[in-house]
Amino acid sequence: MASKRALIHAQSFFSPLQTSNASISLLPRNTYRFKSQSSTQWPEQVKGDDLKDLLTRSTWSVESLLPSKTEARDAPEISSEHLHHLLRLSALPLPENQEEEAKMLQNLSAQLHFVGKMQQVDTTDIKPLRAIRDETSEAEKEHTITMDMLKDALAREKTIGKHYKRIQRNTDAVDTKDVENWDVLGSAERKVGRFFVVESERPQE
Amino acid sequence: MLASPIRTARQALSKRPYICPSCLRKAKLQPLASAQPFVARSYRALHTSAGPPSNDAPFRKLLKDAVKRKKKEERATAASSSSSSSPQQTPKNQDLRLEKWELTVGIEVHAELNTARKLFSGAATSTGEAPNAHVALFDIAFPGSQPHFQIETLVPALRAALALNCRIQQKSSFDRKHYFYQDQPAGYQITQYYEPFAKDGHITLYPHDFPSGVSPDRGPIIIGIKQVQMEQDTAKTVHQPPSTHLLDFNRVSHPLIEIITLPQIHNPTVAAACVRKMQTILKTVNAVTAGMEMGGLRADVNVSVRQRNTQAADTGHTYHGVTGLGQRTEIKNLASIKAVEDAIIAERDRQIDILESGGVVEGETRGWTLGSKTTKRLRGKEGEIDYRYMPDPDITPVIVGKEMVAHLRNTLPMLSDDAITMLVDVQIYGLTPKDASTLLLLDDGDRLDYYLDVVQYLRSALSDYPETLARVGKTAGNWVLMELGALFKNEEWSDSRVSSDQLASIIEYLLRKQITGRTAKLLLAMKFEGDARPVGQIITDGDMMLKPLSHHEYTDMAQKLIEENPNIVKDIVEKHRHQKVKWFVGQMMSNSAEGTVEPGTAEMVLRNLLELPPMQSK
Repeated sequence: MASKRALIHAQSFFSPLQTSNASISLLPRNTYRFKSQSSTQWPEQVKGDDLKDLLTRSTWSVESLLPSKTEARDAPEISSEHLHHLLRLSALPLPENQEEEAKMLQNLSAQLHFVGKMQQVDTTDIKPLRAIRDETSEAEKEHTITMDMLKDALAREKTIGKHYKRIQRNTDAVDTKDVENWDVLGSAERKVGRFFVVESERPQE
Repeated sequence: MLASPIRTARQALSKRPYICPSCLRKAKLQPLASAQPFVARSYRALHTSAGPPSNDAPFRKLLKDAVKRKKKEERATAASSSSSSSPQQTPKNQDLRLEKWELTVGIEVHAELNTARKLFSGAATSTGEAPNAHVALFDIAFPGSQPHFQIETLVPALRAALALNCRIQQKSSFDRKHYFYQDQPAGYQITQYYEPFAKDGHITLYPHDFPSGVSPDRGPIIIGIKQVQMEQDTAKTVHQPPSTHLLDFNRVSHPLIEIITLPQIHNPTVAAACVRKMQTILKTVNAVTAGMEMGGLRADVNVSVRQRNTQAADTGHTYHGVTGLGQRTEIKNLASIKAVEDAIIAERDRQIDILESGGVVEGETRGWTLGSKTTKRLRGKEGEIDYRYMPDPDITPVIVGKEMVAHLRNTLPMLSDDAITMLVDVQIYGLTPKDASTLLLLDDGDRLDYYLDVVQYLRSALSDYPETLARVGKTAGNWVLMELGALFKNEEWSDSRVSSDQLASIIEYLLRKQITGRTAKLLLAMKFEGDARPVGQIITDGDMMLKPLSHHEYTDMAQKLIEENPNIVKDIVEKHRHQKVKWFVGQMMSNSAEGTVEPGTAEMVLRNLLELPPMQSK
C-alpha cells in the first residue's frame, strides 16, 4: 500500500515543475503501474525551498516491507539443499560453514517476505512492466517493421532459376567495420592462437 | 571439505579483470558441482544446442566411428554366442510390445538462419573462418554493450514460419534464459519464451515424404507446430582433454529458429520424415544455409510411452496441452535424420523395458551417439523454473507490419509439396516420388531447374513425335539423375558442363531410336569431358547413327559366336543358365561398329538360334 502512495506522490511532485527532464515528462500515464485510489490525499503544490526540504526527507522506505526482528516471517521454509541449488544456478559460492549458511537462509527468507508483500498488490489486468519505454499505439506504429525497413535486406536477394524460381541471398561480405573493428582477444587472460581458453570440467553425475 | 574449492574460486575471481565472469566462475566452481550430484546444470548449453554432440567432428567421421563400433560389437556378440539374447528382441515379441505400448514423440528443431548478420549485433555470420574474426562487443557480453536487434534476420525467420503454416504474431518479444556455460558469455541465452513470433502451424507428411513412398498411417499425417521462436546460437567449443576448452565466438548469437512440434508423433519413421521434411521446407524457402549433414540443423526429441487403451487422462503427464502421456525423456542434439529415428527406437524400447519390469521412467535428459544401441543419461530432471526466464528489458518488442508479412507470403518460392506434386503427376512429368525429392534437394534446386529445362527442350523438339512425349519426363529424369549424376559423382554440379539443350539433343536421338543407349552414354561422357562440338556433329563425325543390321547379318554374327564358344552354349542349354545369353549380346555389340547392334534384337536372334524361350517382357 505504501508503495502505491510513494509512486503517486512522486508523480504529483514532478507534474507542476514543467521539468525539462524529457524521460520523465514524456512517460505515458500507463507507465505508472499501480492504480490510484480515490481516497488518496493529494498534497498541495510545493515550491522553492519547501520542495528542496521535502525532497531531502524520506517519506517512505522499502524497510516497511521487510520483516522486523520480532515479526514472524511470512515466507516459506527453505531447505539447505534448495539453497545450494539456487546458489549453483546463480554460479555463486556455497556457504563455507553452518553459520554462513544460516545467515544466507535468513537473508533469503527476509527477501521472500518482501516478495510476499509485493505479491499482495492487486495487479489484475495489469501487464507486467518490462522496461520503461513508450508503449502508446503511436510509438508501436513508429516501431513497426515495414517493407521499407527491409528494403536493403531484400535488395541483397535475387531470384534464380529459369523454371524453378528460388530466392538466393547475396553472400558477399557485409560491411562490419563499425562493430568488428576492435581487438576481440585484447582482454583475454588466456588465449591459444585466436581462441579464448577456459578450464572447465563436466560434472560427473 | 567444501571450503577449499570455494576459496580457490574466490581468490581467482578477485584477481581477474572483468572478462566473462560467468565462464570463469563456472570453470572454478565445477569441482563443487561434481561433489554434489544434486544439480548438474552446467551442461545446459547443449539444450540450445549448437554443434553436433559434444564435439565438432565432421559427420563423416561420426559415421565411420559408428561403423567401427558396430563391427566391434558384432565381433563381441559372435564370440559370446547367442545364448544370452534377450527375449524382447525377437520380432514377434517386439510387435506384441508395441501393441501394448504406444509411443509419443515431440520434436524441437534448431536451424541456423540464412542471414548476413548476427541476431543482436551488426557482426557478420560466418562458417569456417578464423576463430573470433566476427565478434561484436555485445556478442561476448562486453560490459556496457547493448543488443541491437537486426531486423533483416526476420526475413528468413518469417519465410520459415509461413512455409510451416504458422500464424505470424504481430508483436513478439525476447526473453532471457539463464544458465552458466562457457559457450554462452552473457550467462543467459536470448530466446522467445513468452511471446514467440509464430504460433499454431502444422506440417503435413504425404506418402512421398517417406523413403518407401508409403506413409505408415496410409494417407497424409498432420503434425501440429506449437510455435517457432528466434534465439541465439552458442559459441563453438574445441575440447582439449582433460579440461581445457578453446572458444570461438564467431557462431555465438548467430540467429536460430527453434521449431517446436506438438507431441503428436507415434512412430519413429514419422518423426524422421518430419525432420527431413522440415529441412526440405526450410531449404526451399532459403531460410537456412545448410542441412543437417553440415550441422545447420539439429533436433531434440521428447519421447514417452504409455499403455494403450487406458483411461489415464487425469493421471498422466501433460505436454503442450496434450494430456494423459507417460513420463518423457529428452534426447538432445541429434545431428542426422537417421539418428532421430534410431534414438527414438532405442529410447522407446528402453522405456518399455523399464515399465514392463515394473520400474519407473525418470524424467531426464539423455544423449545418443550414432550407431549405439541405447541412449545414455546426461543429466537429471530439469525444471523450466531453473532457467529463471525473464523478459529482456534491453530489447524492444518486435512488431511486424501486415503489409511486409503479406509481401513475404506472396513471394514465397514454390514449396516442396507443390513441386513434388507437379513432378510425380503422370500427366506432367511422371517421376517417382523418390526421384522427385532427390531432384528437388540436389544442388539447392539447380538440378531441378536444369531438368525442367531439358524437358522443355525435348517437348518442343519432339512435338512431331507425340508417342514419345509421355515418356519424356521419366527418361529425362533418369538421364539427369542417373547418367549425368554418375559423372558428377566426385565433382561439383555445374549446369554448363553439359548444357541442357545438348543433353536434350542426346535424349532426342535416343527416343527417336536414331542412336543406341550405349552411344547416348558415350556422347554424354564426351560432352562431359569437354567436347565442344554439338551432339549432332559428333554423331556425324563419328558415324554413330544407328544403322540397323539386317536379320541375316544378325544371324550370321550370332551363329559365328555360338560356334566359337561351345562351352558357354553348353552352360546355357544344358545347365539352363540363360543369363549367359547376355554375354553373347555383349560380344555382338563390341565386335561390331558403334551403333549398329541393338541389344534387344541381338538377344532375340540368339535365343532363337539356341532354341530358348523368348525374353520375358518387362
